[in-house]
Amino acid sequence: MDSSNDEALDIIVTNVVATFRTRCHLNLRTIALEGTNVIYKPEVGKVLMKLRKPTITASIWSSGKIICTGATSEDEAKLGARRLARCLQKLGFKVRFSAFRVVNVLAVCSMPFAVHLIDFTKNNRPIASYEPELHPAATYRIKNLKATIQVFSTGSLTVTVRGSALKWKLQS
Amino acid sequence: MSSRVCRTCGGADIDVDQARGSAVCTGCGSVLEDNIIVSEVQFVEGSGGVSSAVGQFVSADGPVKAPLLGSGFHTTVGKESRAQTLQSGKRQIQQLGSQLQLNQHCLDTAFNFFKMVVSKHLTRGRKTEHVIAACLYLVCRTEGTPHMLLDLSDLLQVNVYILGKTFLLLARELCINAPAIDPCLYIPRFAHMLEFGAKTHEVSMTALRLVQRMKRDWMHTGRRPSGLCGAGTTLLLPRQQQKSTTEQDCLHQTNNMLSPTLPPTALLVAARMHKFRRTVKDVISVVKVCQTTLRKRLTEFEDTPTSQLTIDEFMRVDLEQECDPPSFTAAQHKAKMQQLEQELARKLDEVEGEISCYKDEIETELEKSRPKLRGIYAAYAKEIDPEDVDGLSSTSEPEEPEVEDAELQATTQHLTQDFLCQVIQEEDVRGKKTDDSKQEEETEKEVAGPQRLLAPLAVILGKLPSTPGLNLQQTFQTFNKSETGRKPDDDESESGELDLDGIDDQEIDKYILNDKEVQVKTELWMKQNAEYLKEQKEKEERIKKEKEQGTYKEKKKKCKKREQIEALTAGEAIEKMLEKKKISSKINYDVLRDLNSRGTGSGGGSSPSKASSDPPNSNTATRKRLSRHRRRRKTSDANQDLAANASIMGKRFRRLISTKKKKTASQVENSVTMTTQITTETASEPTPDPELDTSSTPTAPPPTVVEEEEEEEEEVEVEEECVSALQLVGDYGCEVEEEEVF
Repeated sequence: MDSSNDEALDIIVTNVVATFRTRCHLNLRTIALEGTNVIYKPEVGKVLMKLRKPTITASIWSSGKIICTGATSEDEAKLGARRLARCLQKLGFKVRFSAFRVVNVLAVCSMPFAVHLIDFTKNNRPIASYEPELHPAATYRIKNLKATIQVFSTGSLTVTVRGSALKWKLQS
Repeated sequence: MSSRVCRTCGGADIDVDQARGSAVCTGCGSVLEDNIIVSEVQFVEGSGGVSSAVGQFVSADGPVKAPLLGSGFHTTVGKESRAQTLQSGKRQIQQLGSQLQLNQHCLDTAFNFFKMVVSKHLTRGRKTEHVIAACLYLVCRTEGTPHMLLDLSDLLQVNVYILGKTFLLLARELCINAPAIDPCLYIPRFAHMLEFGAKTHEVSMTALRLVQRMKRDWMHTGRRPSGLCGAGTTLLLPRQQQKSTTEQDCLHQTNNMLSPTLPPTALLVAARMHKFRRTVKDVISVVKVCQTTLRKRLTEFEDTPTSQLTIDEFMRVDLEQECDPPSFTAAQHKAKMQQLEQELARKLDEVEGEISCYKDEIETELEKSRPKLRGIYAAYAKEIDPEDVDGLSSTSEPEEPEVEDAELQATTQHLTQDFLCQVIQEEDVRGKKTDDSKQEEETEKEVAGPQRLLAPLAVILGKLPSTPGLNLQQTFQTFNKSETGRKPDDDESESGELDLDGIDDQEIDKYILNDKEVQVKTELWMKQNAEYLKEQKEKEERIKKEKEQGTYKEKKKKCKKREQIEALTAGEAIEKMLEKKKISSKINYDVLRDLNSRGTGSGGGSSPSKASSDPPNSNTATRKRLSRHRRRRKTSDANQDLAANASIMGKRFRRLISTKKKKTASQVENSVTMTTQITTETASEPTPDPELDTSSTPTAPPPTVVEEEEEEEEEVEVEEECVSALQLVGDYGCEVEEEEVF
């Protein structure tokens, strides 16, 4: 959040992806048959379960690994994940909530000005890359933060950060 | 070395003659060395008088295999792996590069890139052709040739994004900065393809100007260069009248299209301007963008002030003003619309608020009649609001949660204590008419407070009767629980214990269906996935069968997916299948075709013949064996017999569904040959097999039978397509048999 400007720049977190393990084998058929809001995909071998309150879609694998997507904040992701684990517990599995890890955070921001991508890429040579034939945005990668920023010519930015960079944030 | 100082006289002046291979002291003349090992190049005369050097190429890096293979051997043998990789890479580069018409210098540079890539081990896990394509594209970019990644993907039939990924990775790893491609580069190329004849140069110049104009108008950032070119060319196409009005019309006409790529747009415009009849389709086929894209680009161009110029003016004048990028203006437009909508919504809310005040007063009256429900429903009342708010406007939402939280805390105690009673009550309530529930919900709302938007509630409640009461209750409880659950989360313990803080079990319970629901859902799911379950069962059975036969291979992965063969007749199907499978040359396809044609003519099959196939393996085995020997002796006699036999064999074959097509074809043939020898009686008799065995002259019965049986067992792996052709034959065979048997 850039609060030093006259017009505050709004950076909105739109998606948080997190994973955790239940440390027990899950019978997908049981979950599919006894849960509401579930989609069973036997070809892939997973169950999609959607929660309403923190709007979360979780992919559940029979090994006990679960991926939660769609949360709008890290806390929400955690809450949703725990909710989900509790739900599975009620279904009769010996669920233990472990290895919760935020994998990815996606945020969107918009600049009030347009960006000339070719010049921008030239000035930031190795860090930024722009392939008009492939994708309309220039990709700017910050290695030490493990972040990728996609800059569009209209001035909108999409920021994606890998989970490990968030560890220190969660602890603080 | 001894040649430094002479032994006899001590002189240092030693003459070494390479040709003679001797070292002589010039002082005393004594020969110091004779037959010195020379390292001269020797030449040998080859066939046709061509002289070539004697020797072998030795790889500079890595160990070399003993050169015992002699010259003229296959060049890749005897070289170590790295050299082989490079050589094959070079070959592929040459091949691909020549298709793109790249000059030798570019190809050499590409090969250098490839060598770098190989040395950095970046080829691991990637298809060589992808890597080659990426290297070539890298060269194209650095040299500035008008080749697009799309061209490469066209040649290789590979998804362009996959190539792009590889290209980006290589560029990053090799630290090569590929300069951004200018759409202007593509124009001459596309113009040439659109065949403007003598005027090609003119058209391309105009198109270039257009593209440059587009660049300044910010139409080209974020867009594929090819689209811009296309639009530019089309705009240049028609240019019949010199009158300014018509020219403007032309510009506007072609401006109907927007392309995400500038050059096609530019070319289209340019072509129109020069009176060339090039339709959008032509341009699209050349430039590889889609129509919508082109259209969009032209529309964007239309919005710029440049489009208002006449053609002559455009060639002469350059407008100073620059435009904003089209997506930027579009986004701004969108933002404005959103603002307007919000304002409207706000006004609506105000009006509704007034109405709700009146409603409140009425409801307070009702409230007095049901005091007990207040505490319980207060919570529910709040829950409804978020729903309502969502339905109506976004502005009032932020206020709601805060108010709700405060009230919720008061009611949570009620909830936790009385919940069970409530559940029972609610269920009773649910059982009642929806009107009652409606009323109750209204009373709930009363408690909510005057500031709430209750007018919309009526609307929503109006919808409620249609939804099952259960869902409504569920949502209320869900909302309720979720709000209680919005407490700050503590870190869970490392041991993996699930921290139940903030998770309300009741809500979670709602996620789990009760028994009846489970049954219903199970039924539905079974029906829906019936096919999949059936497949699974078949697979299991197959595996069991294989296990019994001892041919089950563990971890048998899915075989390559074969496409379904579409054919009008069985004969066609068999032919196609045979083509695909590259069947042996020993099959007489003519007979095969005849088989089916005869087979369709005759009637259905007979059961006895089917029964006769009881000991199928041995029979077909023997038949196969016999027919193989007899294949050549096929005659055209008794075509009907052929058909009959086909049907018989067809029946038999059905048992052997698992046999490969090759074998079935041969079997069909075999049966044909066999039955020529055998009378039709065999069809009627239930056990013709032993007779067949005896009647036909077995050439080498036991081993071949065993062989074939084994082969059949091996072939037990089913390929579903086999069945189709087989069954086709078999089906026809049925008919034949029925007719034949008298």
